[in-house]
Amino acid sequence: MNKKKFYPNYFTFPAVILFIIFYCIPIIAGFFMSFTDWHIKRLLTPKFVGFKNFIRLFGDEHFILALKNTVLFALSTTIGIVILGLLLALLLNSAVKGKAFFRTVFYLPAVLSLIVIGIMFKAVFKMDGGILNNILTVLGLQSLTNDWLGNPKTAMFCIIFVQIWKWSGFAMAIYLAGLQGISADYYEAATIDGATALQKFRNITLPLLMPAFTVVITMNTIGGFKVFEQVYVMTNGGPGFSTQVLSTYIYSEFSKGSLGRSSAMSLLLFLMISTIAVILNTALRKREVEM
Amino acid sequence: MKLGMKEKKIVFSTVLTVITIAACLIILIPLMIVVLGSFKNSAEAQAFALSLPTEWHFDNYSHVLVKGKIGQAFRNSMIITASVTAIVVIAGSLSAFVTSRKETRYTKFVYYLFLIGMVAPIQIVTTYALLQLLNLSGTFVGVILVETALQMPWTIFTMSGFIKNVPRELDEASFIDGATPVRTFFSVIFPLLKPIVATVIVTTAMGAWNEFMVPLYFFNSSSKWTMPLTVYNFFGQYSSDWNYVFADLVLTALPITILYLLCQKYVVAGATAGAVKG
Repeated sequence: MNKKKFYPNYFTFPAVILFIIFYCIPIIAGFFMSFTDWHIKRLLTPKFVGFKNFIRLFGDEHFILALKNTVLFALSTTIGIVILGLLLALLLNSAVKGKAFFRTVFYLPAVLSLIVIGIMFKAVFKMDGGILNNILTVLGLQSLTNDWLGNPKTAMFCIIFVQIWKWSGFAMAIYLAGLQGISADYYEAATIDGATALQKFRNITLPLLMPAFTVVITMNTIGGFKVFEQVYVMTNGGPGFSTQVLSTYIYSEFSKGSLGRSSAMSLLLFLMISTIAVILNTALRKREVEM
Repeated sequence: MKLGMKEKKIVFSTVLTVITIAACLIILIPLMIVVLGSFKNSAEAQAFALSLPTEWHFDNYSHVLVKGKIGQAFRNSMIITASVTAIVVIAGSLSAFVTSRKETRYTKFVYYLFLIGMVAPIQIVTTYALLQLLNLSGTFVGVILVETALQMPWTIFTMSGFIKNVPRELDEASFIDGATPVRTFFSVIFPLLKPIVATVIVTTAMGAWNEFMVPLYFFNSSSKWTMPLTVYNFFGQYSSDWNYVFADLVLTALPITILYLLCQKYVVAGATAGAVKG
């Protein structure tokens, strides 16, 4: 069979050319532009300034805060989603009735726009008459009511909560696919050997779910570093800079016209995400076992 | 009192059911408050109560349709979503077909190229400048092409995984009959890809419909705004009229929710496509 003739390379050209022009070239260009004083008013005449953008960034307390917030966000949302997603999957894999309905509901947030969810949660976390404060009042916990998004101490947690609320059902679907792939024979054999439920979970379920863990952890960590919409909608980085993350800071520098500095931050984000993705993938893949 | 095996089981499953229902309510209560609030008057909606409206205000929706420019936004979102989805499905399946049928240096290069796209965030500032240079800034074409590039890697990996399981003998038989590669692909292979094409269509359509960052950066004229941009802007203007805001949220989320409920099988297949065999 003549593969060259029957599987021609030109079939790939539309996808590859589109992707190179609108995705790869901006990445490469961004690398160079990070070292210039590029400004929206001088779009075609950027000047080389060496590492100035990066030196300025690391001296900028707001950037450091955005960096810390982004790492905190990615880390805590991933942990939350990994655990809650697993709990939801185990619940639906147990003898609970009405599985199809619950699965539909749990997955629903994953398909809704983050803008819609963000605005909805502004109503939840509102100070006066907000849903959460209403619930607390009804429960007699009036002392706990708070201006959730207006308080620098709690705003970040609200945004973290929204991410976990949105993506736990998605993780659940991935775990469920993994759970369904585990043969019942393993559990039967373990039962005959007198294993307890906990032992079965630790020695059968968890190791055989490793591929699902790899996907859930990698996807949510990467997604966490890219966080933009919910911050932009719910707090726009405030109050003060308390919820500023890298993507919103990149956008605010972009809006001011400082394209060079904005590119430098994008480059740092790119390097961070790529490094973490590679490390996570190699570390997690090693722990996967063959079925 | 000592519980027997059977009672223990009943208690256990009741506890599980209660936890499941509680988790369900955490998701449904805010959504129900939004839907119910969209039919209330302004004062009632602002109370954010989980109650039926004393008087059903369907006019909230007509108000939002006019004031929120939903008609135009809906049309814009449809143009972008349909175009991105069509290009992604056709270009993606063509490319996946060839790269999953042979292994050469070129196809390996293509594999790694798209692998970068699975991880790397979009470099939006230079993309902005690129569109300026190409005279595509602020146009539908520009936004469609950028979103297409954004969605391509996932599509190609998902499609490749599926095509690898389509028997090669089918294309070979078609080639022996004298069919060209183009004919073979469109009349023999593509019809067999129905399930994965359905998955890619619903996943891409949802991604494109919900996309916020790309249109936010690239459309400065409000006449081209998509649904999420319009609802965000509407919220900025009417943030005290929660009945209108809620109606606008419902209208923005409705098309995707319907698509999800109708095509749930394909949506979930899209989510787990990469999971079973990473």
